[in-house]
Amino acid sequence: MNKRVLAALGTVILGVAVIAGVGSYVANAKNDSRVLAATPAGTMDTPQGMLPHATLDISVYPDSMAGMHGKDGGAHPGYVSYGPVTNFEVPAHSVITMTVTNYDGGESLNNDYFARVRGTLDGSALLNGERMTHISPDAVGHTFTIHGLAVEQDEFFVSVPMKAVAEEDMPEEGYTSKPNVTVFTFVTGGPGEYIWNCEYPCGDGTIAKFGAAMSTMGYMSGHFTVKG
Amino acid sequence: MTELMTPKSPQWWKKDDVKKTFILWIICTAVIGFIGVEFHVRNIVAPASENMSSIISLIRIFTWAASPVAGLVAAMCITVLTSGRHYGDNPPEEADHEIRNSPRTAAVWIVVSGALTLFALIGGLIVLQHDNEAILDTQAIQVKVTGQQWVWNFDYSNGARSEDLYLPVNKPVVFHITSVDVKHSFWVVQMGIKMDANPGYTTETAVTPDKIGVFDVRCAELCGLLHAYMQTKVHVVSQADYDAWLSAHAATEAGA
Amino acid sequence: MTTLTQNTATAPGKSIIEKLNVITALALGVISAVVVWRLSLAFLPEDAEGARLFSREDKITLLSMCGWFVGFMTGIGALVGPFRWLMGKDLAHDENMFLAGENMGPKRYFRYTTDHKVVGIQYLFITILIFFLGGGLAMLIRTNLGTPEGGWLHAQAYNSIVGTHGILMIVGTIIMVTGPFGNFIMPIMIGARDMAFPRLNALSFWLIVAAAIPLLWGQFIGGITTGWSAYNPLASQAPLGMDGYIMYICIFAISTMVAGANITTTVVKMRAKGMTWNRTPIFIYGTVASVALALPAFPVFFLSQVLSAFDRALDTSFYNTAGGGSGWLYENLFWLMGHPEVYVILIPSLAALMEMAPVFTRRPLFSFNVAIMGIAGISGLSVLVWAHHMYISGWAPLLNAPFMLTTELISIPTGMLFLVLVGTLWRGRLWMTMPLMSIFALLWNFMIGGITGIYLSDVPADAFLHGSMYVTAHFHYTLMGAGLTGAVAALVYWFPKMTGRMFDKTLSWIAFWMIQIGFNVAFVGMFMVGLAGQPRRVESYAPTFNTANMVTTIGAYTIMIGFLVLLHGVISSARSGVKAPKNPWQAKTLEWSVDYPIPLENFDVLPTVTSDAYGYGKAKS
Repeated sequence: MNKRVLAALGTVILGVAVIAGVGSYVANAKNDSRVLAATPAGTMDTPQGMLPHATLDISVYPDSMAGMHGKDGGAHPGYVSYGPVTNFEVPAHSVITMTVTNYDGGESLNNDYFARVRGTLDGSALLNGERMTHISPDAVGHTFTIHGLAVEQDEFFVSVPMKAVAEEDMPEEGYTSKPNVTVFTFVTGGPGEYIWNCEYPCGDGTIAKFGAAMSTMGYMSGHFTVKG
Repeated sequence: MTELMTPKSPQWWKKDDVKKTFILWIICTAVIGFIGVEFHVRNIVAPASENMSSIISLIRIFTWAASPVAGLVAAMCITVLTSGRHYGDNPPEEADHEIRNSPRTAAVWIVVSGALTLFALIGGLIVLQHDNEAILDTQAIQVKVTGQQWVWNFDYSNGARSEDLYLPVNKPVVFHITSVDVKHSFWVVQMGIKMDANPGYTTETAVTPDKIGVFDVRCAELCGLLHAYMQTKVHVVSQADYDAWLSAHAATEAGA
Repeated sequence: MTTLTQNTATAPGKSIIEKLNVITALALGVISAVVVWRLSLAFLPEDAEGARLFSREDKITLLSMCGWFVGFMTGIGALVGPFRWLMGKDLAHDENMFLAGENMGPKRYFRYTTDHKVVGIQYLFITILIFFLGGGLAMLIRTNLGTPEGGWLHAQAYNSIVGTHGILMIVGTIIMVTGPFGNFIMPIMIGARDMAFPRLNALSFWLIVAAAIPLLWGQFIGGITTGWSAYNPLASQAPLGMDGYIMYICIFAISTMVAGANITTTVVKMRAKGMTWNRTPIFIYGTVASVALALPAFPVFFLSQVLSAFDRALDTSFYNTAGGGSGWLYENLFWLMGHPEVYVILIPSLAALMEMAPVFTRRPLFSFNVAIMGIAGISGLSVLVWAHHMYISGWAPLLNAPFMLTTELISIPTGMLFLVLVGTLWRGRLWMTMPLMSIFALLWNFMIGGITGIYLSDVPADAFLHGSMYVTAHFHYTLMGAGLTGAVAALVYWFPKMTGRMFDKTLSWIAFWMIQIGFNVAFVGMFMVGLAGQPRRVESYAPTFNTANMVTTIGAYTIMIGFLVLLHGVISSARSGVKAPKNPWQAKTLEWSVDYPIPLENFDVLPTVTSDAYGYGKAKS
């Protein structure tokens, strides 16, 4: 074989190595590599019959100091964030009870569609122990909205609004002692890859308040995997 | 083709390479037209509305209209490539002619490509006009479509709301599309309609679904972080199922 | 008086321009960026708590980037000439000769050198660099799309890679022919000693280098998450990396305008004696048409980004409907540039292949006049078709029909260029070289790109195809399959004149076949997923699209290997290739009449032209 062709092979290998290096660097530069799996909790009776039950317990904070970004808040300490992590894994064909503790204030939604509880068992949730189907669209702190690709996996849509902590209860320092706790239960279908994000516009200082924390992985959005 | 006229052979069409090209032209046209049409028809989604069916027939017609041109280019290339190639570091001897021009060939070429263009244009305009008319249908079901970073939701005139779209079969529907943040594009894949959702404006598009089934809605304009996941379903159901669904959902929205 | 000023300018040892090079430029650029950054940190007010838009960081970023830009251009020496001129004197003769890189050796490639041949090589280098950066990013995109669920890359990293790949490739393809060959070959081809404005020539190149840093910088502060089109208001919402994009475009637009004015003037005013318009080679027409199209297009692009910067940093609302503006304004401005721009890319590549066609078929170019009509027709129509990118935007549905008309009319002049190429091949004697095969490859790819363009130009069909992978495949067929194929052929064709050595034949063939086969595999797969309904710019997709996406990924890897072989060919042939004779292709254009190395001002005696360059073939007796 031509010597030049052999030498060219060297260039090809070198080039592939460089691209692979850059690729693995970019692929590893993630701030949300951890996944929280739902805790199994026996079985539960639902309209669909007896199903395995699991629970997920998470919180929303007005900054990034409490979650997975470390005590100093990582790259964007001022961003609102869900915690302890933003990627979740739940079992398929099961009942999931999620508890979301909201430490953040809030204002109006830009689309009141998300002020109503949607996709949970009987369309309701428990807000601080009281059953509700919707809250005022002007007092929403955040939402937890699960949706995803709509092909070759079961349809899955759950959206629950988190009531905002009242203005007067938001302390100057630290987190409020009166968070709003929302508990909701839903049934998962078959396995699939879904995502969740917050639909309350909380990227302050950006267009439509959907930039910043809303448009960066690891804060107000993440993967929601239904495992078979 | 006056280019081919030389003193020795007054009848250019009797030359060997012209005959070969002519036969190849017919074969290439047939092959390109057939493959082109089959490639599109086999890969494109199954239509669920008249809009989509007419898009598929437009593609079919355009492909066949373009295939003689592509066929001719292909035939000439094959003839050229199969009639003597020269390898080596030094140039081959000069060609045996120095023809620089052929006004008649150029004229025929331009007229034919102009005619094909006009044909494509008229075909498109007829379908376009038909699509535009549908938007004005006041008897149609009116659905408000709201795009928002990374979910769709739909509002019906009786107060029902949903995150996946429900439509009755064979009833015209007009979508009024808007966005609350950035630009999205409302694409009902199998129905062949698409219209951008612009913040602060309402745009319209219309369709009549003609098949019962579940189809896809996707966002077709990069809208930020989770654009890839901005999808939902459209359920086309019978009129009775639609009515039941509609009143149940309206009741839910009205409920406390 | 004159003598006196000249003395002061040259007498005391080394003049300032002798001390400036790319290192001083980088140093001054970094220092100036850091100084501006610290100053703006110190003096810019904090954002108000409830402000509609937080713009302090954008202001700081944009100002620091401006600082970099001014510092770099000062450090490279771009301001020496204008400054002297403002002071009422100009550079002395020996300073000008120094700037031209006389007797300087390889150092001249790292300075503000005005010799068009140096600028041509510099352009070639940066074009190759841009293509390998953009191509590497394409590999990351294709790797991520190898599996349906995505997630190998972070969603915003993926979006940013898509945007950066897009803008790098757009810039790379815009300069790939008019940069290296328009600067190195064109002046010799028309029998000129240099460009009309040599200092502007150096300016246009160094502006591109200056522009590169903000784009790179942007990658580390949030990236360009909007795709290369950077539609507003998404771009106003995007992270700080967007400011890098804005600066990149603004500086690049200036570079393009400067280069456009320079090349146009050179061709109009400096052709050799006897080179009438009828005797001017077709490549020159292609180059001029390309840069002349860029002249109206890029100021609009520049403007669109300035307004975008205002929206981000000064809280204006040009593109924000809530504040009285409209995103449609951005779309119009963007595509006013965006559509002429694809012909800015295509025409010079096509023209280069038309220039090569007679050489490798040993017969005259067929229908020179039709070729010019085609180029002129495309150029004229291309400024009237921009809204076909906005058929489904809802901006002006009533204008869809007229824009459909102008768009489909473009197929007539495009057809003319096909006629010229096919007509030239017909009854030629094929000299089987990689540039010749590139003509066939272009005909194949551009035919597919052209016919799919007809479907896309049709409004009802576009309602299905717009924004899908089908569009992505279509424009890769035109810009890469046609445009880049022509540029690679031009590289192999003019390589002997630019380096004095022949391009390695084996490597050119291996690269050619790997690129062309890989290309057709990759983008046929992409047509398939587009027809099946996969949108563009998605990080994950339904599993049903997986097979065709895998095909595309395999094709893309093949292209990558082909281009790496080509890169190896460039480097090894330039270093140790076979020494080239003066006119290895036995071509008749003027650039083949000068010896390698080409002397500083190309010709001792300016040539006189008595015929066109296409006198191949022999009359039948």
